[in-house]
Parts: sequence; C-alpha cells; structure tokens
Amino acid sequence: MGTMKLTLKAASPSKRRRQLSKNLVAYSFILPNLLGFAIFTLVPIAFSLGLSFMHWDGANEISWAGLDNFKALRDDDTFNIALKNTLWYVGGTVPLTMACSLGLAVLLNQPIRGRNFFRTVYFFPYVASLVAVAVVWNMLFFPSAGPVNELLRTLGVDNPPRWSASVDWAMPTVVMASVWRGMGYYMVIYLAALQGIPQILYESASIEGANAWQKFRHITVPLLTPATFFISIMLTISSFKVFDLILVMTNGGPGRATNVLVLHTYNTAFRQFKFGYSSSIAMVLFALVMIITVIQFYMEKRWVEYSQV
Amino acid sequence: MTKWLSRRTVKMLAVLLAVLFALNGGLISGGALAQDEPITLTMSAWDVATTPYWQAVIDAYEAQNPNVTVELVDISSAEYQDVMNIRLSGGDETDIITVKDIPGYAAMLTRNQIVPLDEFVEADGLDLSVYSGAEVELTYEGSIYALPFRSDIWILFYNKDIFDAAGVEYPTNDMTWDEFDAVARELTSGSGADKIYGAHFHVWRSCVQLATVQDGQNTIIADDYSFMAPMYNMVTGMQKDGIVMDYGELRAGNIHYSGPFINGQVGMLPMGSWFIGRLVADQAEGIFDFDWGVASFPVPEGVEPGTTAGTLTSLAINDRSKNKDAAWDFIKFYAGEEGAKVLAETGNLPALRTPEVLEIFASLEGVPAEATEALQTTTVRLELPMHPQVGEVEQILNEEHELIMTQSVSVEDGLEETTSRISDVLE
Repeated sequence: MGTMKLTLKAASPSKRRRQLSKNLVAYSFILPNLLGFAIFTLVPIAFSLGLSFMHWDGANEISWAGLDNFKALRDDDTFNIALKNTLWYVGGTVPLTMACSLGLAVLLNQPIRGRNFFRTVYFFPYVASLVAVAVVWNMLFFPSAGPVNELLRTLGVDNPPRWSASVDWAMPTVVMASVWRGMGYYMVIYLAALQGIPQILYESASIEGANAWQKFRHITVPLLTPATFFISIMLTISSFKVFDLILVMTNGGPGRATNVLVLHTYNTAFRQFKFGYSSSIAMVLFALVMIITVIQFYMEKRWVEYSQV
Repeated sequence: MTKWLSRRTVKMLAVLLAVLFALNGGLISGGALAQDEPITLTMSAWDVATTPYWQAVIDAYEAQNPNVTVELVDISSAEYQDVMNIRLSGGDETDIITVKDIPGYAAMLTRNQIVPLDEFVEADGLDLSVYSGAEVELTYEGSIYALPFRSDIWILFYNKDIFDAAGVEYPTNDMTWDEFDAVARELTSGSGADKIYGAHFHVWRSCVQLATVQDGQNTIIADDYSFMAPMYNMVTGMQKDGIVMDYGELRAGNIHYSGPFINGQVGMLPMGSWFIGRLVADQAEGIFDFDWGVASFPVPEGVEPGTTAGTLTSLAINDRSKNKDAAWDFIKFYAGEEGAKVLAETGNLPALRTPEVLEIFASLEGVPAEATEALQTTTVRLELPMHPQVGEVEQILNEEHELIMTQSVSVEDGLEETTSRISDVLE
C-alpha cells in the first residue's frame, strides 16, 4: 500500500503516460471501425462533395463547374418531381411506421399465448430479401386478379385502385410496402423500451382508478418518448435514403410517379454519366437530412422525457 | 558477424544472380517469340446459363488456338449495361466487352472506354462491307469501335393452333398494321384464365415505337413525336378492348414475353428474331407443344413489305485491356465467318449473313419453314440511332411510354410532353 501511494504521488508524468497508453488501447479498439468509415464513407463523401462543383462523365477529364450543377437543379423538373416524391414518401412512411410499430409493440407486450411467435412473424419482413418482398407485394396488389383487389371487389368496390400500375396509387403502394417491411424492426425497439417502464407506475395508477387508455396516454407514451425520438430520427434518415424498394417495385414509374432523389442520383450518375451533377443532387439530399435531423434534436428538449424513476 | 558475407559468398551470389537473370531473360524473350504462350482473355456476357452461343463460339476458337483460354464474365441481362458502366468506371480490365445496344455503345465510346478498331481492321485488310450496312451504323465520327456479330430483326411470331381454332388465315409477309389489328380482334376469345388474346405487346417502348419509324420519315431521336400517335392509338385501343394484355399488369407482374406466348395465351407476338432460338429449344425440350410460325414484321400502309427494324450485338475491346492484340484476334473470329456458322448452328442470326450461314440457320431442326422467307428484308431501320445523348433520350422515352400505356395521360399529351422534354435535352 505504502509503496503504491508513493509512486502515485511521485510520478505525475508516469500517470499521464499510463493515461496515454490507456487511451491508445481504447483508440486501437475504435481504429478498425474508424478506418472502415474513413475509407468507405468519409473519403467518398468528400470526393462527392468536390465532384458536385465539377463536370465529370466518369472517364474523361474532370472540369470545373462552379455552381453550375446546383443552378441546373432549379430547372430540372425530374429533380423537382423526385424531391416532392421523396418528401411524400418520408411524410407517409415515418408516422405510419411509428404508429404501426408502437401498436404492435403494445399488443405483443401483453401476456398472450404465442407472443414470441408473433414477434418473430412481425420481425421477419425486415430480414427477408427485399427483392422477394417487392415481388410478393406486386403480386398481392396485382390490379386485375390480385388478392387485395379481389377482396375489395367482394366488399363492393367496383373500381379498386390499380396500385403500382397507376400514377396516383403507386406511391401509396410503395409506402405501404415499406411500412410493412420496417415496422417489425422498430417494434423490437419499442418492446425493449416498454419493458423498461416500471410496473409499479401502472399499479399505482390502477389504484387511483385510471383506465387502460389513461394509463397508455399518461404513462406509456411519455415514458416511451426517448425511444420515439430515436426511432423518428433513424426512420427519417432511412426514409430519405429510400432506393432499393423503389428500384425493384416500380423503378420510379409509372412515368416519374415514384422517382425519388436517390433514384434520380443513380440515374444521372450511372445511366447518364453526369457524375458532377449527380453529386450535387446527393449534396442537396445530405443538406436536407442534416437540417431535419438538427431540427429534431432541437425539438427534443420540448417533448422527450428522460424520467429518473 | 561478417563471416557469412565472405568474399567467396558474395562471388557465388553474384554468379547465381547472373544465371538467374540470364535464365529469366531467355524465358521472357523466348515467350514473346513463341506462339503458344498461354493467354487468358476475359469477355463480358449476359445470361450465360440460358444463352448457349457464348460458350459454343469460344469452344470453336479455343480448338483452333489451344494456347488461348477465354473466360466469360456473366452479368444478368436486365442489368447488363448498368453493371458494365459501373465496372468500367471503376477500372475494370475485362478484355472483350460485349456491346448489347446502341445506348451502351454510345456511353462507352464517348467516354473512351473502348478503343477504335480502325488500325486493326486496316492492318488485317478486313473488308467490313460484308456486314451489309451494320458497320455503317456502328461508325461514329469516322471510326468503328465494335464489330457486329449478331444482328436481329423484328418479326412476327404466331401460334398456329390459335389461328386454326379461330379459322383465321396465317399472317402473310406483307401484312399491314391495320390488318394485324383486325386479325388480333378475330382471334380474341374467352375470358378469365382461359382467355385467348389476339396479340401481345411486351412492355418495351420499342414494341410500339419501332413501327412508327418503319416508313423512314422519322427516327427515334426526333424534334417532334406526334408521328407516333397512330400506332399508340392502335395499341391503347387494343388494350382498352382487351385484345392485348394490360400494360400495367405486365409491368407490375414483371411478366416476360415468352410466358404468355409459350402458355398459348396469345395469337401473335411482334418480337425480335432472337426469340426463335429460345422457342426452338423450349419446343425440343417439350415445354410447349403447339405449332408456331413466323412472318415478316407488319408494315404501315404504303410501306414496302420486308421493312423492319433491327438491333446489333457487337464486340469491343476495353481500353484497359492488357491483351488487345489477342482480343482483336478473338473478335475477328467471333464476328467472322467461322463464328457466324457457330452462331447459326445455335439458332441465332449472325451479323455476317452469307448464303451458307443462312442455310445452316434455316435447316436447323425446329425452325419453322416460313423462316427463310420471313427473314428476308428489304430495309432494316435502326432501332436507335447513334447519338451521344441517346441514353438520356431513351430514359425519357421509356417514362413517357409508361405514362401513355398505363393511360395516365392521353396519347396526345404524352407525345407532346415527350417532344418538349427531349428537345430540352438535345438543346
């Protein structure tokens, strides 16, 4: 004991050294991930940012464009359509997915028979191959003989929507598919959060004579706000990035009815070889997601409750 | 410490190194002289498993050139050009690039990813006129960047059993589109799962648009698209009356054109001659058992019968290839007479059509007797002309085609929007 005290007191530089070596150990653990991030994400992002001020066809020489690419965005009606469609998609997918996953989580948190089975069932779409999901959805919503329209017809709807084959219904169809696919994943997050709510709160509320809705409204919902906050951010970001589902289900069609920003970025880069212009679209998307995320964090203080029960 | 590096050891090492270098040098110079240095070439291709000719031609070449091995890089057909573009942008070194269509050709050529072949052609004294015009279509600013090996034309496939059952005469080689419409209406019968559709238009825009350029007055890259209205009116009219399957459903269901035809659901199918090989193979395997025939592509009123549209498949050399000379030798074989014979034997129409090659094709088992005459052409129009911005134009054409065919816009409005969007691009 005595000697140890002595060294500690005497050797402040060695303490610093020890701290340093501790840090190095910690950094070495972060390093592989950081390297991966730097090589596969940071460098391409920086390259893309640079490209957005250039003209490049992917093979020939790069030339300086200044702000030309960004100016051209204003007159590009496909860009404007894609921007509108993206907002439409995000506006539809985020609240619907959150509502559905919360509903599922609350239901499957009840002590019902076979709830683990149902939890797996609802999680399954998230791990299923997206291409298969898209094909199955297109089958379900097949205009003439699909099960959905058959059902609607027996319910007395004479002219059921033509879903992904119609300009007006293509986007809702994609939104539905995406809600169905994503809700299982966010349900799991909600379930974890639900299980973190102390039972004692519900018990005392029952003693006070609160009904189920009041308990849900005044205990569950407020105590879930940290999870809701997390989910809303993750979901917003992933919805802005939507690409694969749309590419497989509609390829942006009919016409440009489901063209979204990432699809437009892809088309301009790899089908039209305007890598600079395409990067400028990507930058707009980046700025958009950034602004919305910052706003969400700013709003956090107003509604998220981190209770210390 | 220094003992092992004694003078003697150094000397011995020097001698050893000298011997090694001499050996090595001898090997290298010897290799350059010898003809049989093993070379491995790579070649991009699509759907290798279901497309027999890729390997068949390679086998024929390798039999003559035992030192060369050609490996296929298999890419799915629907994504072929997208994948190729991305690979080439990333520095891909595949020696031989198969050119699937004109937009892909334009994209790779304007970005200098494939090399001009003029010097090779000149050095070998190759006469390109044997390709009867295809070589002109592939020439851009005075240079040719690919040799054509397959040249398909659009023809009309029909199901003889359906014609017989309806008591309608088989299509003739001088059928007009109006007659096509009328015949299709006669053939249509039944409902539900047993419905027979008179005709079938696949979802490609070319299925409708090619007929609009047959008269030679316009091309697919135009400054006014109103000339396409009559054909669009006919096809959307047929769709409304249930004579052809619904476009939106074909899209949503991702239905390949071979399905409805092979299932015996459709009477007539305008399609490329590449479909002959598939039908011959499927029938031989017993996948379907009805009688089918082919006729020339229908023509608009007043256009000479035998006028059709064509599409070329060709081979180019990657700018980054390390074996350009060997690649050229292979391409020359593939697109030449010997390659053409192998292609014909596998049920494909080569770009090089000598009477001998056509004879091989027509005498293949399973190819309908009418084929010889149906494949005679008077004029072959280009499916898409060579243009630096053809990729962008095609995307617009596809989008507007989809809107018209799903009846989201009227034919008139759709073509008007096509005109204005494409003129913006071409400005």
